[in-house]
Amino acid sequence: MPSSDTSLHATTAGGRASVRRVVWRRLRRLRIPDWVYGLVTVLFLLWLWEYAVDHGHLNPYQFPPPSKLQGTFESLLERGFPRGITTDVHLRTTLSRILKGYVAATALAIPSGLVIGSNSILDRAALPIITFARSVATISLLPLAVAWFGVGEFTRVFLIAYGCYWIIVTSVVEAVKGVNRQYIHAAQTLGASRVQIFFRVMLPASLPRIFSGMRVALGMAFLVIIAVEMIGTVRGLGALIMEARTFYRTDVTIVGMFFIAIIGFVLANVLSWLERFLLPWMTDLDEVQR
Amino acid sequence: MSQHIVVDRVTKQFDLADEHTLALDDVSLTIEANEFVSIVGRSGCGKTTLLNLIAGLITPTKGEVRIGNQVITRPGPDRGMVFQHSALFPWLTAIDNIQFGPRNQGVLRKERLEQAHELIELVRLKGFEKKYPRELSGGMQQRVAIARALAVDPEMLLMDEPFGALDELTRAEMQEELLRIWEARKKTVVFVTHSILEAIYLSDRIIVLSPHPGRLRAEFPIDLPRPRQRSSQQFMKLYEDIHDAIF
Repeated sequence: MPSSDTSLHATTAGGRASVRRVVWRRLRRLRIPDWVYGLVTVLFLLWLWEYAVDHGHLNPYQFPPPSKLQGTFESLLERGFPRGITTDVHLRTTLSRILKGYVAATALAIPSGLVIGSNSILDRAALPIITFARSVATISLLPLAVAWFGVGEFTRVFLIAYGCYWIIVTSVVEAVKGVNRQYIHAAQTLGASRVQIFFRVMLPASLPRIFSGMRVALGMAFLVIIAVEMIGTVRGLGALIMEARTFYRTDVTIVGMFFIAIIGFVLANVLSWLERFLLPWMTDLDEVQR
Repeated sequence: MSQHIVVDRVTKQFDLADEHTLALDDVSLTIEANEFVSIVGRSGCGKTTLLNLIAGLITPTKGEVRIGNQVITRPGPDRGMVFQHSALFPWLTAIDNIQFGPRNQGVLRKERLEQAHELIELVRLKGFEKKYPRELSGGMQQRVAIARALAVDPEMLLMDEPFGALDELTRAEMQEELLRIWEARKKTVVFVTHSILEAIYLSDRIIVLSPHPGRLRAEFPIDLPRPRQRSSQQFMKLYEDIHDAIF
């Protein structure tokens, strides 16, 4: 840029002002990536937290400061809590429970939802059951589930699956009922049989809404997992948080929350990757618009 | 071998909870093989109902629709449909949309592809085979929709305001394309439109329906030689006559 070069070499007072202007212009032209803004905000809040505890505005038991959490984080990774059960065990246990329950729920909900949604009699018959079962707060089933299956792994996976199933099945039924009639008419005039319409029209047309149900259900899985891990086990992030309470270790609780957030973040991203992979016709346009 | 369409004293009533709408009242007409017939009339005159009856998407309350000697009771691949909003399957690319019908009928992949590429050429969409409908313009979408309907080699094309959502220039262009395709493939075309000018430009014959209840009001054979001059005297005269018949 020749114009800025000449102004950089200027020596008069007016020249110095123009140097300043050029520096500003260049700074403004530097595009700061979006994540930098977020990072700066987080760092500032962490600093504020540390400062507030240091100066006695916050109680360190109620709000263990970041400097302490760092030590807790390391000790959870190396020595574990309760001693010997390290973070990777907790993470793996929780993750595998969530996946088992969630996958089971999805695998059951998609076919059953497709059948219910495409049959108006079944739909009317199933509606009250689905509405009721979905309205039951999953955690409140815990005592009953323990009575049925005992305090074992199956109870935990069952409750996660229960919470997710009703959400997904509702979205599948709604998706099937919401399929544009014209797609079906077009398929009929193109000689498609009922079975072909089911698999080649209803199913693909429903997928976007099925995915949005699956996303909501994933949130539900995280609500349930923590609760069901609070009884009868020392493994899993829910158990970690519960144990921490018993020993007044609020720092462990916070680090545990942090780990839960990490798995939540990873799983949500895996799901949206899967969605983009399976539904390129949906995301292509979004990318064009961006 | 194409056969004519006979709409024989058809009445269609739609019954809702406490409302009975007489969409068509005792309508009879015959459409010859390879004829290009347009149906015009005001909103609510039953144009689309008539088309859907021929398609077999709905069944008449009284009377019957026949193709040759066959009474129509359900949709079939002998009657291709093109809708106003293309109704292309958004999850399939252009070429896969075109192959949808042949695939249902179990046509082998190689043969299917070959034929689909032929149709892509016919509707002049070379280079857009792998695009999803949302990546195509309105006019292109309708080209794919026409190709998709033609892929099962139907005897007729039933078109429900296929160009109604297009801008004027694209619309004129698509009219040319349709005539070209119609002449290349020799199909019967039943064309529902709001536009009198479009109907005159395209059709061998125009059928005017009147609303509430839908009845046959008039028929206009269009004898003008093709390609037609949109601004010619006869064209304008026909426009006035048909306009008067509608209003």
